Amino acid sequence: MKFFRVAMAASLLAVCTGQTASAATGNVLFNGTITATCTVTINSNGTMTVSSNLQSLSSHNAGGSAGSAQVDTTGGVTLSVDPVTITTVPASDTTATTWTPTFATSGAQTIAETGTATALTVPGTSTVAVNLAGTKSGTDRFSAGNYQATVTLRCE
Amino acid sequence: MLAAGLIAVLSPIAAEGQSMTPMRGEVRSFTDAFAVRVFPGNPYDQRIRVEIHVYDQDFRPIDARITPKAFVLAGQASRPVLVVVPFDGANERKVRICTESIPFPSEQTQIRAQICGKFFGHRRF
Repeated sequence: MKFFRVAMAASLLAVCTGQTASAATGNVLFNGTITATCTVTINSNGTMTVSSNLQSLSSHNAGGSAGSAQVDTTGGVTLSVDPVTITTVPASDTTATTWTPTFATSGAQTIAETGTATALTVPGTSTVAVNLAGTKSGTDRFSAGNYQATVTLRCE
Repeated sequence: MLAAGLIAVLSPIAAEGQSMTPMRGEVRSFTDAFAVRVFPGNPYDQRIRVEIHVYDQDFRPIDARITPKAFVLAGQASRPVLVVVPFDGANERKVRICTESIPFPSEQTQIRAQICGKFFGHRRF
């Protein structure tokens, strides 16, 4: 009897040998959607200096420097600067000043200096140089004292 | 001397800048308002103070319900903000929801970062 059981087991094993195991397969799909994103990081200050004729106060003048910001984006966004509305001028300055903010980018995408909204189409990190120029016309001149102006850099 | 006195500083502080997600969205609503949840983020290591504003397509302010409207955000953090925009009788409305940095008192801030998302609300009857 014992011999019979061993023989049966051996024969069953022999029959099963060579049979492939049946396995079901399926595909697992992954979907991902990246919407436009934008991160703005202000890096450094800008400085405006006055021109020799005292009619220009600008970061473009000698000794002046642009502000710097970093923009990280997926692309598909627009970069712009707002008209300057927040300024602080010395009490002695009672004449009108025209403020003109501009920006330029380098890095992932290069944009020549402009004051109009420009699309950022290239994903990556771009460095933004923000400039501001104040001008007076006619006989008006900048006067001694501290000037401050706020430039809004917008990514949308 | 005068030139030296006229040097003005565009001096942003390190706490100036942020991110916001999502920046695009389309919402269908069966009520007279539609809601959008945005997540302002702080890319810096230190805290910043931010405000959320809602504008129309021409950057005119919209009287939307924003919760919370202004808050302090920890470094490298983000938090949800719920914005409920009324249709004001229209069947659809395009708005901008903007995250704006706010300088802390006594700190100079001349470059202000603003991240705006564009959202489109449709009213269903």
